[in-house]
Amino acid sequence: MPIGGSSPAVGSAEAERATGTEIERPVRGLPGKTSRGVRAERLAPFVLVAPAVLIIVALRLWPLLLGVNFSFTGDGERNGTAVGFDNYAELLGDPLFRTALGNVGWLVVLLPVAVAIPGLLATFIYLRVPGHRVFRGVYFFPAVLSPVIVGAIFNLMLGYDGPLNTALAAIGLGPVDWLGDADIAMFTVTGVHIWATFGMALVVFLAGFSTLDTALLDAARMDGASLPRIIWHVIIPSLSRTLQFVFVTTMIGMLTSMFGLLYVMTSGGPEGSTYLPEFYVWIQQGQMNRPALASAASTVLFLIMLVVGILQVSVLRRAGSED
Amino acid sequence: MRGRHLGRWAAAVPMALLALATVYPLLFTANVAVKTRRDYILDRFSPVSSPHLENFSAAWNSVGMARYFANSVIVVTVSVVLLLLLGSMAGFALSQLRFRGSSALFLGCLAALFIPFQVIMVPLARVMADTGLIDTYPGLILAYVAQFLPFTIFLMTSHYRTIPVEIVQAARIDGNSTYGVYRRIMIPLGAPALLSVGILDALFCWNDVLIALLLMPSPEHRTLMVGVTSLRGQYSDNIPQFASGVLIAALPVLLIYLFLQRQIADGVTAGSTKG
Repeated sequence: MPIGGSSPAVGSAEAERATGTEIERPVRGLPGKTSRGVRAERLAPFVLVAPAVLIIVALRLWPLLLGVNFSFTGDGERNGTAVGFDNYAELLGDPLFRTALGNVGWLVVLLPVAVAIPGLLATFIYLRVPGHRVFRGVYFFPAVLSPVIVGAIFNLMLGYDGPLNTALAAIGLGPVDWLGDADIAMFTVTGVHIWATFGMALVVFLAGFSTLDTALLDAARMDGASLPRIIWHVIIPSLSRTLQFVFVTTMIGMLTSMFGLLYVMTSGGPEGSTYLPEFYVWIQQGQMNRPALASAASTVLFLIMLVVGILQVSVLRRAGSED
Repeated sequence: MRGRHLGRWAAAVPMALLALATVYPLLFTANVAVKTRRDYILDRFSPVSSPHLENFSAAWNSVGMARYFANSVIVVTVSVVLLLLLGSMAGFALSQLRFRGSSALFLGCLAALFIPFQVIMVPLARVMADTGLIDTYPGLILAYVAQFLPFTIFLMTSHYRTIPVEIVQAARIDGNSTYGVYRRIMIPLGAPALLSVGILDALFCWNDVLIALLLMPSPEHRTLMVGVTSLRGQYSDNIPQFASGVLIAALPVLLIYLFLQRQIADGVTAGSTKG
């Protein structure tokens, strides 16, 4: 860092005179400026970014390295000693972690649904369906609620004799044990997550629509193209950047912001069926006192996110360039 | 023409149903919150004719909700002020001042944006414990600032890039130093972006549960969202009181949403269009 090199000017004689240094930097050298002022000016950008850089390096980048390093050491009696890939081997052997990875697979499968719902709704709102202003406002509101609040509300909604089962009974179905059935619980929680977050993606899509070339859309309509064809041939290619952004952020959201829901709604159960890597990290760190194992799980989660992000960007880029 | 009209109505009906499904859970909870326990057990669905508002005062007074609420307000306020201050300073430097390493710094900031908290939570808890910051307000505030600073810097940098260089140059000719430009030009011209980013940061901090759960283990240091997670256990036999506790915790966010919806949407979309 160049900050360390230049110490603040202390010579008073130097400070009193406005000298030649100004000429080197005509924009900054202003009449009446001392060379101390000039030096302060030169340092100013570094002073402005320094606190932010310090905090980010110390509390985000440094812990990332520390965590990766940590994942190769042992817990408990082997605390601090290098154990190679032992933690990773233990992870692969742990049925709970394998369930967590399997659930990540389900999230990837459900991702297109989580993107298509807000995409379609945004399309209709953009086409000015009657009441589009109201819809826009209403759909967005769950997105501002904490997962903890959403989870608490849905604990009431999804109870065995709660509103959803009552509604199902009215049409002769159910009841369903939404959170107590190991085959269903993960889909229930994912559904609630989509309910709570589709408004975010909707707003992003609408911002993308505002950059859409209306002439293209009008031309397609004049030619009598049906709505599905308009979506497929006009809207999707024109919004490829927005789509890419929504795909990546929705996947990141699914991998990193379902903790609150899991914590409040299922605590990982029943039978460990609703574990996700983030919840596994929390349990190993907070409840089991296995920080090194938790670090290994964190590292795996980070790798998953990197891979998913890179894959999506490259797949979508290729899809976009074919058009 | 007529066919298209019909088509638009055909889309409006399922969308209206979806809108209903979006608000119903909250309406149901609000209705339950003003029932007596007896009413709830007899019939949980029918609308309440005479609201039983005592549930709210009981929830507020009984399980430390007031304390949790105050904790959240303190932590969120200080965090947001620091985020906006540091974020606008760095955003100004990265967008308007050319200095060695500025583009590398911006890239580093983008990279930090993609490190989720779950990935660094174990070592961060250790760093906080080693420095004595665990279970303290400054510790949690620092963690929030670190968590949301990359996002804040990113949006402030994008915003400040739209301010023409001529304005900054004119201010310099008028005798302003870099700090003067920051104070007299960047803060006022950045106000709309500061408002959107500040609201989003406030929502993120207010709604967080994982970071607070990890770094504030003592019961008296719980934030409101951590407090809500313990409500269920305390009120398993008194669902109306549970519902009113949940609503108290949601109220500030709902108010912000009602009055500042546009700013929230602006903040969310700024990240997508400028990225």
